[in-house]
Amino acid sequence: MHLHTHSTFSFGDGAANIEEIITRCVELGMEAVALTDHQGLYGALRFYKAALKAGVHPVIGAEIVLATAGLDAKEGTRAAREPLTLPASVGFGRAAGIGFHLTLLAENLTGYRNLCRLISRTHIRSAETSSVVSLEDLAECSEGLVGLSGCPNGEVGSAVLAGSLARARAALMRLADCFKPGSFYIELMNLLTPESPRYIASLASLAESCGLPTVASNNVHYVNPEDYRIHDLLAAASAGMGLPGPYRRPNAELWLKPATEMRRMFASLPQACDATLEIAERCDLDLGLGSFHFPSADIPSGETPYSVLSKAAWHGLEKRYRPVSPAAFARLQHELGIIDELGFSDYFLVVKEIVDYARGKGIRCSGRGSAGDSIVSYVLGMSDADPIEHELLFERFLNPARRQMPDIDIDFDSTRRDEVVDFIYQRFGSGHVAMVATVNTMTARSAVRTVARAFGYPIGEVNALSRHLPWASASRLREVLETYPECASHPLKEERHETLVELAERLDACPMHLGTHLGGFIITREPVDTWTPLQWAAKGVVVSQYDKDDIEALGLVKMDILGLRMHSAITETLHLARSRVGKEAVPEPFDLTPDDQQVYDTIARADTVGVFQLESSGQRNLNTRLRARCFEDIIAAISLFRPGPLEAEMIAPFIRRRHGLEDVSVPHPAMAESLSDSYGVIVYQEQVLLVAQAVAGFDLAEADSLRRAMTRGRSRADMSRIRAYFLERAIERGVDPEVAEEVFRQLKGFAAYGFNKAHAACFAKISYASAWLRTYFPAEFAAAILNNQPMGFYTPRLVANDARRHGIDLLSPHVNTSAIRYTVREDGRAILVGLRDVYAMPSRLLDTIEAERKIRPFRDLADFLRRTNAEPAPAESLISIGALDGLGITEGGRPPTRDELLALLPGIKTAIAREESINDDVLALVPAPTRPAEDLSHVSGWSPARRLSAELELLGLSLTCHPLDIAEEDLLDRGITFAEQLPGMPDRSRVLVCGVRERAQTPRTRSGRRTCFLTLEDSSGLLDVVVFEDSLRRAGEAIVKHRCYLVEGRLQNNAEQGTAIIAEDIRPYVVRSSSGAPVRLRRGVPSGPMGPSLGGAGAPEEDS
Amino acid sequence: MGRNVAIKRYRPILGARTLDLFEPVEERRLVVLDLLGTTWIFRASELDYPGDAGVGRRVREAIFVNWEVNERRPVTFVRGRRTYHVDSIVQSWAVEYAWWDPVQHISRRCWRVLTREGGPYDLAFDRLNGRWLLLGIQD
Repeated sequence: MHLHTHSTFSFGDGAANIEEIITRCVELGMEAVALTDHQGLYGALRFYKAALKAGVHPVIGAEIVLATAGLDAKEGTRAAREPLTLPASVGFGRAAGIGFHLTLLAENLTGYRNLCRLISRTHIRSAETSSVVSLEDLAECSEGLVGLSGCPNGEVGSAVLAGSLARARAALMRLADCFKPGSFYIELMNLLTPESPRYIASLASLAESCGLPTVASNNVHYVNPEDYRIHDLLAAASAGMGLPGPYRRPNAELWLKPATEMRRMFASLPQACDATLEIAERCDLDLGLGSFHFPSADIPSGETPYSVLSKAAWHGLEKRYRPVSPAAFARLQHELGIIDELGFSDYFLVVKEIVDYARGKGIRCSGRGSAGDSIVSYVLGMSDADPIEHELLFERFLNPARRQMPDIDIDFDSTRRDEVVDFIYQRFGSGHVAMVATVNTMTARSAVRTVARAFGYPIGEVNALSRHLPWASASRLREVLETYPECASHPLKEERHETLVELAERLDACPMHLGTHLGGFIITREPVDTWTPLQWAAKGVVVSQYDKDDIEALGLVKMDILGLRMHSAITETLHLARSRVGKEAVPEPFDLTPDDQQVYDTIARADTVGVFQLESSGQRNLNTRLRARCFEDIIAAISLFRPGPLEAEMIAPFIRRRHGLEDVSVPHPAMAESLSDSYGVIVYQEQVLLVAQAVAGFDLAEADSLRRAMTRGRSRADMSRIRAYFLERAIERGVDPEVAEEVFRQLKGFAAYGFNKAHAACFAKISYASAWLRTYFPAEFAAAILNNQPMGFYTPRLVANDARRHGIDLLSPHVNTSAIRYTVREDGRAILVGLRDVYAMPSRLLDTIEAERKIRPFRDLADFLRRTNAEPAPAESLISIGALDGLGITEGGRPPTRDELLALLPGIKTAIAREESINDDVLALVPAPTRPAEDLSHVSGWSPARRLSAELELLGLSLTCHPLDIAEEDLLDRGITFAEQLPGMPDRSRVLVCGVRERAQTPRTRSGRRTCFLTLEDSSGLLDVVVFEDSLRRAGEAIVKHRCYLVEGRLQNNAEQGTAIIAEDIRPYVVRSSSGAPVRLRRGVPSGPMGPSLGGAGAPEEDS
Repeated sequence: MGRNVAIKRYRPILGARTLDLFEPVEERRLVVLDLLGTTWIFRASELDYPGDAGVGRRVREAIFVNWEVNERRPVTFVRGRRTYHVDSIVQSWAVEYAWWDPVQHISRRCWRVLTREGGPYDLAFDRLNGRWLLLGIQD
């Protein structure tokens, strides 16, 4: 048995995939195997589950870094590395070059908990200190652990190799004392180096003299002999070095060798091999997977969690339902019974406590996901969609037949989410809360970069090789290069990169580092570090070493405390609107009855930029086809434009039937009733349950089990069994066998693709609220969207352009008028751009500008610089985007142009630095000669094209005009059709359009063919372009490498399919000013430190 | 007999069986101690310069090796016209170096052997071209 095995979860020092380890053990007939990754249990749960599934006995362990044990206390105060020279890599991570390796294996649950505690204590003691385990901590946490003396980088091994047997003996004795007798072994490795015989002989001799047992291991780092190259690559890349990397391994022997090979290598020490079996047998850890461990709710004395939950729920029912209907009453009674039976009351109470806190503090929040299927969630305020009104089914959320961890996800106003997080830490105690990790793995792009860097390529070449690679798994790299149009001339296709591509493919899904889950928190009753090892995340929070699946497997509660920027935007819109028109004039949109036809008109004409879930190009297309008239339509719109329904091509029949273009036909009348909302199309997962109930008489729990069985990894045999059972039950109820067969066929076809209606209903509440605000307060809504970036589907540029198209002026930022954020002016007819988004603006300067302006407005550039002490870079940005336009006066009796201001800037800064008097006599300074003003009609003296370039470059917005306005004459000459003209043109017309790329998406399709959906924008609106595979093959590279295109194609414009252009030819288009200079179309970083002559603001880029 | 007397006197065949150095037989302890005490436990290929290094010679000669498949060890090797009979494997090791560089790449499995005719000798099987080499002589 191998008791010292590193997987890819050793992050850079292991190339063995966990599944490969298990598979190989099965092939070799090894009944047990241990996983001992560096400094953690990152892969332990996956390993444990995979091993049990394959019938292999899993041993969980870790290779930790330990402080020196072989020096006495006096010597021990010296740096541990002094007496022994170890490579810096030995310590691994933050313990690099400080400690020694030691292998620990968990004998039982006590040992596992101690291992978690030991690792956590070491990692989170302080974010600054090294993660080295002290001997004291080891001794304290060693119960239930088996210790192995480690590899040649362990203290004993290092001492032996350095010829210091006395040091090795001292370390051995002290380490052995940390463990209970018989639980510490001397680890022998025959790594087939020239030193190996002496190493083994010395350790065996020490073992004999110290009376300690020996155990053989091979320090496995990869499964197959040929995988050593991957190991070397990962080691080099993780150390930021080229090959051979930090370890300089002399050979390639760290593979998972068969037992016969191991016995051959230790032929004279059979007891060392026998010991692996003994240890594997004594390490009998049962993690008790399948049971749940809930945090404790606050329960008053004399009450139980259920009684508290029940009281709160009945009280909530009265508030939500006036009057309480019999259906609601019965439903609540039913759900509470199941929750009690499953023992989930504590969980619901904990979520309620968090939601109550948020609502009490005025923090906007809403539930999402299948929790919306529950009336308990609804009456406790965790979700906002009425499950009775929308036919949401509790069994889809909690199936009593399958005891699964409930999952209630709550979205909070993202600007105030931290307050909720603070509450959770205070309420449950910091020792009982941790964030959930994510494991970031390699994709095609990162794998290519890893190999190229390990090969020592210069960074420019690394960038060139990874640029323009689509988001794809590394294993598909070769296929992507061969088939994707955008890779037609990719440098990786050169023959000399063959090895690089081969190795990159083998790095597929290899863990790179631990990340932090966006909002996942573990809350535990017992200290969290007795369940999972903890460590500091890069974000500065304590994070579990396990990801969400591991946490779920352990039965711990993971709560998603998510930040939703739309909640922030809604709150801000209300604030802006109420401050303009008064609080009473703006109701809370979530409290409105969703029946305002003006709101539905907004949605139906796809005027939905910024509207939650309804704004993407595909969704806007669907909006025009669906023509929503009620809340259920919004639920349908959200559900239909999802990968599942899209793949199952549900939209077309849904739309055709909705508009009477196709008859609604279902095989059984009971099915018609269940599918009445969706015209006989199975769109929602809940409908699968309803149909199974109506046709085959399943109860809802049984029906949900059927749905799940149809959804997940169904084998032919399983499906055949399910089918037989369904048919039997349906026929028993008198359903015609042929009809039953057809119903089953439809369920089977759609069950895997349906969408959770509860999730859509929860989101639809937010969609309606945001659409209502957009309809009645468009300026405030747009300003709030711009203030809460990044959010939604579109860039700020498009959001601002959309506002302008709706008659809202975009006012350029100015130091005397602009706030930090976007504000609404002119009674809702204008948005004044905030200063925060200007490139290179430090927050200190923003605060100073606001504070100084309250004293008096800025008079001129010198006054501004003197009072704010602005650095040259932000000052230059402010001048270039016109934030100082009109300030000051020249000898000519006019304000200085931007060129003149930029020319004055260095001199004034120098004068201020010399503490010269810079007051009203600023213009005594003679600016350096500047080029003549290009446009005397504008205060800036800059041409529209130059102003636009500066805005796009420094602000990311086009305030002066739309970029294509600059080229209007040329575009009209070419016979361009504009977006606003398309709806009035006949279906199938040939059109030539021009637009700036906003988004390009290539979602998966059922056929597997690639289709690109381009969202372009011209000065009059949005253009939706569909590029099918044939055209994509020709134009893929142009799409990826350019921002603006001329698109020639056929217009699709009919009620059934909506409006879109089917592209036939796509060519790049460069927008040029009247002088012929190209105009920048995206936000960028100015290249010059000061002044336009050095290529700073206003200098356009060469290409589009 | 100069250096490493115990090693040179060591008779690695007991009856018909090839002995292992780690077996705790008293006479072998001396050999182990000799091995532990010697300065020559390094690869002959790592000697600073070719030729006579005082403790051994680094060479690079193509040889013919008779390989025992079942025991996975060399049995005899032919150098020039002389056949050497391997009595014992002192140690074996593996070398894998610079796989990413076609010019510098080395991939070998090495055996340090004692022969009836003397030794030790360092034999290497070059995995890249499937040839045997004699890399070092300690005699």
